[in-house]
Amino acid sequence: MSRTIEASEEPAMRQVPEAGSISSAAAQRRKARRMSWLLLSPGVLWMTLFLVLPMLMVLYVSFWTQTTFTVEPKLTTASWVRFLTSPTYLDALWTTVRIWLLVLASTLVVGYPVALFIGLLVRNKTLQTVLLVLCVIPFWTSFLIRVLAWRPMLGTQGAINMILMKLGIISHPLEMLLFSELSVLIGMTQIYCVFMVGPITFMLSRIDPNVIEAARDLGAGFWRIFRTIILPLSMPGVVVGAIFVSVMVLGEFATAAALSGRKTNMLGNIIVSQVGSLKWAFAAVAGVILTLLMGVVIAGLLKVVNLRKEL
Amino acid sequence: MTVVLTLNDVSKTYGGKPAVSGIDLAIAGDSYVSVLGASGSGKTTLLRLIAGFEEPETGSIVFEGERIDGTPAHERGIGFVFQNFALFPHLDVAGNIAFGLVNRRRDPVRDKAELDRRVAEVIRLVGLTGLERRGVSQISGGQRQRVALARTLVTRPRLVLLDEPLGALDAHLRARMRDELRQIRRSLGVTFLHVTGSETEALTMGDRLIVLDDGRIGQFAAPATVYAAPASPAVARYLNAYNLIRGSRSGASFVSALGPLPLAASGDARSASSNPPPSAPSGTSSNLGPAAADGVYAIRHDRIEVRAPESVPGADEIMVPARFVASEYGGASMLSFFALDTGQIVEVEEHLSRGMPLSLVPNSRYGLAWKRDAAIVYA
Amino acid sequence: MQAGVLKPVLAVYTALFIAFLYGPFIVLGILSFQSGPEGGPQFPIIEWSTYWYRHLFGLVPPSRVAPLPIGDSLIRSLALAFMTMVVSTVLGVASAQAFRQKFRGSGPVFYLIVLGMMVPGVLVGLGTALLANLVGVDRSWWGTAFVLHVVYTYPFAFLVMLAIFNRFDRSIEEASWSLGVSPVTTFRKVTFPVIFPGVLSAMLFAFTLSYDEFARTLFTSGPRLTLPLAIYGTFAVEIHPNVFAFGVLTTLFSFALLAVYAILMMRSVRQSRQVSAEAA
Repeated sequence: MSRTIEASEEPAMRQVPEAGSISSAAAQRRKARRMSWLLLSPGVLWMTLFLVLPMLMVLYVSFWTQTTFTVEPKLTTASWVRFLTSPTYLDALWTTVRIWLLVLASTLVVGYPVALFIGLLVRNKTLQTVLLVLCVIPFWTSFLIRVLAWRPMLGTQGAINMILMKLGIISHPLEMLLFSELSVLIGMTQIYCVFMVGPITFMLSRIDPNVIEAARDLGAGFWRIFRTIILPLSMPGVVVGAIFVSVMVLGEFATAAALSGRKTNMLGNIIVSQVGSLKWAFAAVAGVILTLLMGVVIAGLLKVVNLRKEL
Repeated sequence: MTVVLTLNDVSKTYGGKPAVSGIDLAIAGDSYVSVLGASGSGKTTLLRLIAGFEEPETGSIVFEGERIDGTPAHERGIGFVFQNFALFPHLDVAGNIAFGLVNRRRDPVRDKAELDRRVAEVIRLVGLTGLERRGVSQISGGQRQRVALARTLVTRPRLVLLDEPLGALDAHLRARMRDELRQIRRSLGVTFLHVTGSETEALTMGDRLIVLDDGRIGQFAAPATVYAAPASPAVARYLNAYNLIRGSRSGASFVSALGPLPLAASGDARSASSNPPPSAPSGTSSNLGPAAADGVYAIRHDRIEVRAPESVPGADEIMVPARFVASEYGGASMLSFFALDTGQIVEVEEHLSRGMPLSLVPNSRYGLAWKRDAAIVYA
Repeated sequence: MQAGVLKPVLAVYTALFIAFLYGPFIVLGILSFQSGPEGGPQFPIIEWSTYWYRHLFGLVPPSRVAPLPIGDSLIRSLALAFMTMVVSTVLGVASAQAFRQKFRGSGPVFYLIVLGMMVPGVLVGLGTALLANLVGVDRSWWGTAFVLHVVYTYPFAFLVMLAIFNRFDRSIEEASWSLGVSPVTTFRKVTFPVIFPGVLSAMLFAFTLSYDEFARTLFTSGPRLTLPLAIYGTFAVEIHPNVFAFGVLTTLFSFALLAVYAILMMRSVRQSRQVSAEAA
């Protein structure tokens, strides 16, 4: 019974809480919150110092004064004026938007049927995985090697011209295949298509086959089923894929450099060449414009789908 | 009797909704206490508060004379057995059982021989001999349950919290484990606090039974007491053994939609009115039949006799007409469903050992009779 | 069109698509066996030879084709990828662990981390180079380039771990606490072994992304090049089949890495079934 007596003293203790004391629940919550921030702080600090700060730096330097070989921290809008009045730079902006839209369209058109086949028509899980792995394997080779691999493919003495001539379809090699905007588009489509195929396949494979079966039993034809069931359900995948492709294509410069023979200049190429000639302020202006373009594109796509939920 | 665990005015809300509120409780050492409640009644929250996975917003928890709320779970020395067993998937059976002894902060067992001895001992106790090297995904549900129990018991806690430990097992295994749990507890002298949603489990397992109703303690007493005299209509409902009829007390009878039900003489009446239920009646007033008033008239399933409709009730009896709907054969007993004239369904349990019951014809009318003093009135 | 016709049509289409993915690579592989040093990076194959492979390792007499500067740059790239892998995996695991609880500000923090994989490499590279100039820090592959590699790979590690923790049954941690085991020991002995396959995937992601990264490295690595930068350098000049030979070798290396990952993965799966009490 001694324990009981001890215990009965407890309420008295509880009823006179110390000044400023908090409940155990609040203390636990506070501790959990502290732990969360402790775990997060290195990452947040890293991203702030090495991601946010550099981006702000780009914005800041875009207003510096550019001299022939150096920049000075005297604020001016001269670089901006020069960028926005120069046909070369505006052309690069237009090229970036054009290539982005074309690659987005071509990855979707090329990739969607593949996703449809792998995600919806192949119902064998093993085969599905094998096909997906086949699509992903090229990513374990260097990106630059993948770009370079198109040169012997598309050149005037390349594989495609050789085959076409052997088949008698053409008599002279097609010059437009390499070192043109077309070769850039072909290269980018091949490199980025998988980022479109993956998310769409994922969404399609989640469709319950019974739904389609039921629709078919009700006499719906394939196009009707596609329009009313498959297409809407695959939309989040399309948007996520579009985000992936957009993020990568907008910041591109290597593919354009390697496959266009420096004829196609995107904003990325402008930045690289300006840095190469120590025109930091101009490079920064191009950088800010690229960021704005990207922000608008991603914000637009995120309006359609909640990325955090889909991932 | 010593008190091992005391809760004083313990409350906890989730997102502004109270999960448990104002719980006062004292649990004796070396006892088996079962906690019965519907899902959402706060029973799991209660266990998690005691274990230290959650902390109360008000009140205090005292374990073995020390206040433990605010103390991290691993310093409380209270065992916990999960409904899903929560075995460590990367360890085998013996590894799971040895885990606590080896890795605990206070008094870890480093001596290999001592460790092996204690693990072997508990493995024998729960009947897992021969399975020591099996992976936990390679054993059956019942065996996993034993591993979960052994893993906890080997650390010698003074109190073990069991959260629906038999919920994931099939019926015949559940019956066997009920028995074993009681025996194991008795042989170790620990206190078990066993949460369950099954009234049979709660009634058979506990030396004492706590009925949780909407985050509050509806009743805390010996199972027989709870069963014979539930403290409130809500408690009676959780027991799943009472027919509850709404109405109000008026002098010597209980007025309901069925008409007046005469009560036993005041001396014998098992009225619960002198002992008002601690729980708020609001929110517990669903399926109690047509709402007429705040009062509830309760009559246990096995206190009702089925008679021919024209038979005359005794002086100390009540008889109401009803239409037979269906019955369920339950082996030792038969559960029959009748519809009263108000539309309310009444359940009648007849023990077959007392002779064969009337053979009932669906949709025919019968008389349901019970002793006036068998009824419990909450008004 | 009926679905019955659709399936074979799409099957053929998918086969063509896979040919499209692999075609350039097969051509590159074939041309890497071009004879040298006179053979160019195109058909026809004059004579099958391993000349360009020997050329890579400096085993042929000097010719008009300069050897690829891969020796040191390969070691730099491997070291950089390793450092990046360790740091970004640690950051990723810690952040994902924090995200297991709800907390105010989780939305902005999530997007701050994910931003790292969204922002074009050339842009953060430019910003970091400018910042380094401003504060007077020399650019180097182990300094400015390294921090940017982590900025890029940490979000991937974070997302992988987030997905792993989503499926993680937290009651096994509570079970461990209730046995008297402290949260720190619980993380070491329970949480970490269970999430280990996920950690391995995060490490693989971080390593391969860093090993292949060049947009962020271009402005930040200073005078000493990493491997991708050495390859990027060949874009400007006439290419020779030695680049193709190198492509074949680096691909084989990546597959070896993938195989190591697969073996570790299988080992950890097997281990999770067969672990003795001693390991506890």
